[in-house]
Order: sequence, then structure tokens, then C-alpha cells
Amino acid sequence: MCVAKRKTKIIAICGKGGVGKTSISAAVTKILIEDARARVLAIDADPAVGLASALDISVRCTVDDVRNLLINKIEKREGGDKKQIISLLDYELTNALEERGNLAFLAIGRPETEGCYCKVNDMLKDIIKSLSSNFDYVVIDGEAGIEQINRRVMESVTHLILVSDQSAKGVGVLATLKKVAADAVHYERVGYIINRIRDEQELDKMQLPEDIEFLGFIPEDENIRNSDIEGKSFLMLPDCTALNSVRQCLEAMRILPLEIFNPNCTCSAMHNH
Amino acid sequence: MNLFDNSISDLRDYLQRKKSEGSREYVIPQTSGWPISGKGNVVLEPDTAIELGNPKDESSSFLLWSDDAKKINDGRMTLIGPDLGESKQKNLPFGKVVLLGVRGMTEDNCYERHREIEMARYDLNLSGYMMRSVSQYGREWSRVSKEAIGRGASFATLASALAQMYRNIDFVESVEIVFVTSSPADVRELGVLGDKASRLIGALNKMAAEMSFECDSCDFVDVCSEVYDLRNIRNNLKKE
Repeated sequence: MCVAKRKTKIIAICGKGGVGKTSISAAVTKILIEDARARVLAIDADPAVGLASALDISVRCTVDDVRNLLINKIEKREGGDKKQIISLLDYELTNALEERGNLAFLAIGRPETEGCYCKVNDMLKDIIKSLSSNFDYVVIDGEAGIEQINRRVMESVTHLILVSDQSAKGVGVLATLKKVAADAVHYERVGYIINRIRDEQELDKMQLPEDIEFLGFIPEDENIRNSDIEGKSFLMLPDCTALNSVRQCLEAMRILPLEIFNPNCTCSAMHNH
Repeated sequence: MNLFDNSISDLRDYLQRKKSEGSREYVIPQTSGWPISGKGNVVLEPDTAIELGNPKDESSSFLLWSDDAKKINDGRMTLIGPDLGESKQKNLPFGKVVLLGVRGMTEDNCYERHREIEMARYDLNLSGYMMRSVSQYGREWSRVSKEAIGRGASFATLASALAQMYRNIDFVESVEIVFVTSSPADVRELGVLGDKASRLIGALNKMAAEMSFECDSCDFVDVCSEVYDLRNIRNNLKKE
């Protein structure tokens, strides 16, 4: 029997450190889950684990924890053969998902030992592939810089949102990200957002990239500022100008509106009703 | 090897008692009809029709095997309680026992082989079925989606998919499955049998992992004393 499949939109939010990627990821998540029909997976791929706090989600188990658990099993020879370990990995990852209604959440975590994140990033790449088909949207709050893009962790991302603040450094990173992503990400759309703009005229003073689609700017907003300061969940944010601007950016990228997945359809095509 | 003979016998007594309370027996269908899905199948709470063995409910899941073919009613399923599409409640207590007829199980390979059949449950990838969590205490928490129920998912189709999966293991010859959803008390009662079986496995794991045979200080001395095959495994390992 055929089972209808979603055409999942995998959205990655990337940029230089400190430009507000996590706030934008949280705002994107909030907007997407407002439609109760949408199934959304948010992935905190930044080892700083800020998205969990922004969404007020307590993380019991991270991808790194799952990885360590499996390593322990292999070391103690408890995990069986390779095939069995792979099966267990899928189970452990679904077990690690935190849920809030139509939102599921997964954090990459922070390796306790010093050193490289490659192995966890490799797992993340597989997770994006294996879990995403269950969801209409996957929102990935990427780590700062180009490493995850360069290492093809974001390979299956369909919508790449690059974020900068008004700083020349932040804007400079946009072009680098786009260049690296051109080879390493199979995206359908790429665009950039300028965050925390006090006055639209500030944009005129900036050297904005011309070869990347400008999605819009997010004005500095007291509601977001207060949420940040008070550590309140972005999911509780009232409707505000910043949220509306993020919504417009999602529309510009054709991430919104939600394309309805019809579970009762039994035709064999990929579904995009 | 007949490691679980006593547990199987206790289970038969349990099933006999439940017969008079309206348990149902089915022939497991040859083909499941439950569509398989890719890896990492997720059923979120809003899409869930039935939640089985939620942490707030009773839950017990275990596996028994025997190389005595007569002890397994191959291709049969017993259901005690409402089927997936029959329940008016979203959450049901959940008991699941998989009985396998096996061949070639010896004292040398039974630890590895037991692990192999234990791990097989993670290979079940059915569309709209999510094993949400499995605990070391024999609990199993799973979800069945509204979509799957709409397509006619039932315990018989689940049993069929499980049976096919276990039959793919080369030393498994027969499969029987029991599901319990009738009441927390019935699942608790089943859980007592599950605890007994898991103590046997605990002893087996301890022998394999620790290679320690200090019976005086061992927590599992009672099960080793009771079960002949377990004593044999211990004695053989001691000789090595």
C-alpha cells in the first residue's frame, strides 16, 4: 500500500556568531507551529544550546548523549552488530525528541571532551535525512560560522536563511556562507535577513550583497529584547513587529503558507497538495 | 535449551485464567498490510489515536523462547482487552509477550542470540507506529497514529508485521504473540511474569559481562538455583 509522503521544507538559519540566529530560529518555529496542521521539528544544532532555552524546552537527552550511549554499548559489546546498532540509533533518537503538541525538538548537545564536533555533526546530517520526512518543516538553528555548511551537514536543507546584523563583519560572512553553500547544500532557495535594525535608513549605509535574495529586515523589538533578558519562551511572544517581519520573510521564501499533506491520498507520487 | 520453560508455563496459566474473562485468539495473518515506512518513524501526540503503555499507565513487554516446538502455538495471537480500533480511550495499559520457537540455542550462543532477538524490535518500521520508549524495566510505550487506525491497523496486523520480522532471523522457527490492554491489573499481573523472565536475563547478562561467579554475593543466585540451564551456563563459563 502506498503512503503519502510530505514534501518537507528543511530550513537552516546560519550566520556569524551573535547576529541573532537563535532568536530568529525561535521566531520561525513559533510562526510555523501556529498552524496546528503543521508538524515541525526544531533542531538546535548550535552546541551553545540556545534554542532550547528560547523555546523553554528542557533537554533530557541530546544527540551527543545518544552517541555516547551507543559508544558505551559498543565498548561493552552490548549493542550487537552494526545493523542492530543502526536500528537502535533510530530508536534512541526518536526517544530523545522533546514534544510540545505539533512541535518536536532535538538538541545536538555539547561534547564534554575537548575537541572536534565532526562525529556529532555527522550524526546530525543523518538525523536530518532520517527524521525529516515525518515533518512539514524542519528548522535548524545552525552553529556560528561556516563549519556545518562546509562539512555538508546541511546538505539536504531546502531553504537556507542567512542572518546578519548591521555590522560589516556580519554582512561579510553572508557572502562567504552563500559561496560555501553553493557546493555543499542542495537548497531550493537562499536568502538573507538583516536583524536588529533600528531604522530602515540604516540599510542604506550598509554594503549589502547583491547576488543573494534580500528577504527583509527585522526591526529591533522591545518584546524580543525583553524575552531575551527575562529568559521567557519565544512561544509566548505577543504578535509584534519583529514577528510580523519574520513572517513576511517566510512568505517571501515561499516557506509559508503550509502545503497541505493529505494522509488519505493513496497515489504514488510525492505529495504536494 | 529451555531457559524460559517455567515462565512459559506461568504464562499459559495466566492465559487460561483470562480465557474465561473474554480473551480472544486469532490466527496471525500471513501478510500484515500495514505499510512499512522509512527509518525514524515519528507519531506526534496530536496525530496519535492510541497510546499504549504511556509512563502514566501500566506497561510490560518481554520475550520468551524455547527450543521445544510444542511449547509455542505458532502463528497464533491472543488479545486480552480492546483492539486498536475498538478502544474509546486514547491511552491503554499495555502488555506484550513475544514467544519464539528457536533452534540451535546452546549454552555458548544463547547470550548473543537472546540479544539478537531482543534487538530485533528496533527494526520494526511501520507507517504510523512509533515505539516512543522502551525501558530497562520491561516497559514499552508506543503510539499508533489516527491515519494508521483509519487504514485498518489492528493488533492482528501488528502481530503479523512482528511475526514476519522475527521469522527473518535464521534460528527462529515459530512465533506466538500476546497483547494485553484490558486493565492495569491484568498488565500488572503479566508484569510479574515479565519480572521473573527479566531476572533470568539479568543473570545471563551478569555472567557474560562480569564473568563473576561469586554465588554467595550474587543477586541472581535464586534464579540460577531454580533454572537448570542457567546453572549449566554458569558451570561451563566457570570451567573456561
